[in-house]
Amino acid sequence: MIQLEKVSKTYWMSKENAIHAVLETSLEIKKGEFLIITGRSGSGKTTLLNLIAGLTRPSSGRIFLDGQDLWSLTDLQQSLMRNRKIGFIFQFPSLLPSLTALENVVLPTIFNTDHAKGTGTPRAVELMETVGLKDKLNAYSRQLSAGQQQRVVVARALLNQPELLLADEPTSDLDEQTELEIMDMFQQIHRASGITIILVTHSTQLVRYGTMSIHMAGGVIEKTENHQPV
Amino acid sequence: MNLTRLALRNIAGSAFRSWVVAICAFLVAGFAIAILLILRGTENSLHLAIDRLGADIIVVPEGTATKVETALLMGNPTQVWMPRSNLEKVSAIQGVVAASPQLYLSTLNNASCCTVASMFLVAYDPETDFTIEPWLNRTIGRGLNLGEAVGGTHVFVPEGEQNIKIYGYFVTLKANIEPTGTGLDQSMFITFDTARDIARLSTKLAEKPLIIPENSISAVLVRLEPGADPMTVSADIIRQVPGVTPITSPNMFQAYRQQMNGLLASVLMVLGITLILSGLLIGLVFSMAANERRRELGVLRAMGATRNFVLRSLLLEASLLALEGGLAGISFAVLVIFLFRDLIMRSFGFPFLLPNPGLLLVEILVGLALALASVIIAAMVPAYRISHLEPALAMRE
Repeated sequence: MIQLEKVSKTYWMSKENAIHAVLETSLEIKKGEFLIITGRSGSGKTTLLNLIAGLTRPSSGRIFLDGQDLWSLTDLQQSLMRNRKIGFIFQFPSLLPSLTALENVVLPTIFNTDHAKGTGTPRAVELMETVGLKDKLNAYSRQLSAGQQQRVVVARALLNQPELLLADEPTSDLDEQTELEIMDMFQQIHRASGITIILVTHSTQLVRYGTMSIHMAGGVIEKTENHQPV
Repeated sequence: MNLTRLALRNIAGSAFRSWVVAICAFLVAGFAIAILLILRGTENSLHLAIDRLGADIIVVPEGTATKVETALLMGNPTQVWMPRSNLEKVSAIQGVVAASPQLYLSTLNNASCCTVASMFLVAYDPETDFTIEPWLNRTIGRGLNLGEAVGGTHVFVPEGEQNIKIYGYFVTLKANIEPTGTGLDQSMFITFDTARDIARLSTKLAEKPLIIPENSISAVLVRLEPGADPMTVSADIIRQVPGVTPITSPNMFQAYRQQMNGLLASVLMVLGITLILSGLLIGLVFSMAANERRRELGVLRAMGATRNFVLRSLLLEASLLALEGGLAGISFAVLVIFLFRDLIMRSFGFPFLLPNPGLLLVEILVGLALALASVIIAAMVPAYRISHLEPALAMRE
């Protein structure tokens, strides 16, 4: 499903000073995989995730999603692809503060003209129920706990029935109990829909939830492992 | 959820930015519409006054042109005199098809014999008149009789009275002329016979008599033959009739126009400064707001928003704020001008007439377009920059 061919990402701080966030990395992720990417801060794991999502342009190398070279696409094609195929869960609070929880979940439908009119809201309500927040449909993000906000983000990420779910340290701001709940939720989603999930975390303990894990250090993949998920 | 709703929610969600942008739009649109209204209103008024006078040239005593124009425009009474024999001399000039004399008089101030204070009175000669008589024939079907008058739109019979008392003489108001926004609206028109009758009786009835010098007139209204050049005829008048100043219709109220141009330059400068400052402020505020919302916009891009969508969304927010502020500014300016038009007219010393609804709508649209354009242009740079940022970079702290 995803192929990275010698992908590098370099940030130039000055003419002489460059930071190689990702270096000559090649990787293949099959459909239905639950990949956990671990590594310390600055190891390049978030940059790798952004590269896979097409959120940042590689300095060199090529990235394929379903056989399509991501950077041969126009901005419109890339955006449509992100909208239809990819769901995002970020580390930081990413709900729009001016919208209610339900409106946040429905939000991706406004970028997709193919979306049948009126189908977004019933599906959003259904997803809010799935993440256990049916009673918070009209709540604003400030009225929700960090864990509840992250559940709404998960619901939003699933709205367009994506083939790929990308999560960047989704549990880093959460307490242990909420982290477990969220990870269980990811696993349930994975099992129920067979969706491909790539999750970035600094916690090596979460590796057990995935079917595959890679460990990054200094912008390169140091270790790759396949797992039998718990 | 759609783009407009999203923009409206964002507007509601960032009160500071919304207020600053709306206030800038308020100022720009308010200023623009006020300037347009006053300038067009004044110009409109001058044109109407010239049309109402209906003369191609007005001949007045030498050195009194400004006085007469002020009287006609602002309704400040004046009394100027020249020999009646000038009428015949003017009539004899080639190109003149009609010439009619007028007397410029005024009522007394703070006198019990006059129910209207310091009113500009214009006496005309029904036998030669070509400006008031045709209008009277159209409206009341006949000319004025002795003791009758026609008033400007703001002339009325005092409450509880049957007539208007001038120098102790009762004048019957027969009709009112349509508004011109000039002093003509506060002036009264009577015939020569009525003027002389008032003068004759004023020695007995009034606190102070009305004096009309023998064989004197105040002005001669001239109508030219079709195709005659007003400038050539004016030159002939100056040559052949000593001691007079001819004012041609296109040059009428020239002093006012010059003053107006001076004022126009000042207000345009103020508008320009307002536009520049508002633009800078809006640009700064939008830049700050766009930076604050970098993450949010990056998230939108990650969810599938195109660069174009983000740009449109930011510009739509700017436009909605511009419309909101602009409409408020326009409503405020129109209301202030409508309520205080007389005060504005007096303080600036200009005549003023509100434009008709159609023209007002056009002016409102111009003001709104200016507010929209200034806000959109100012918001364009930060909006473009943020929409073209890599989503991953936008989401970084």
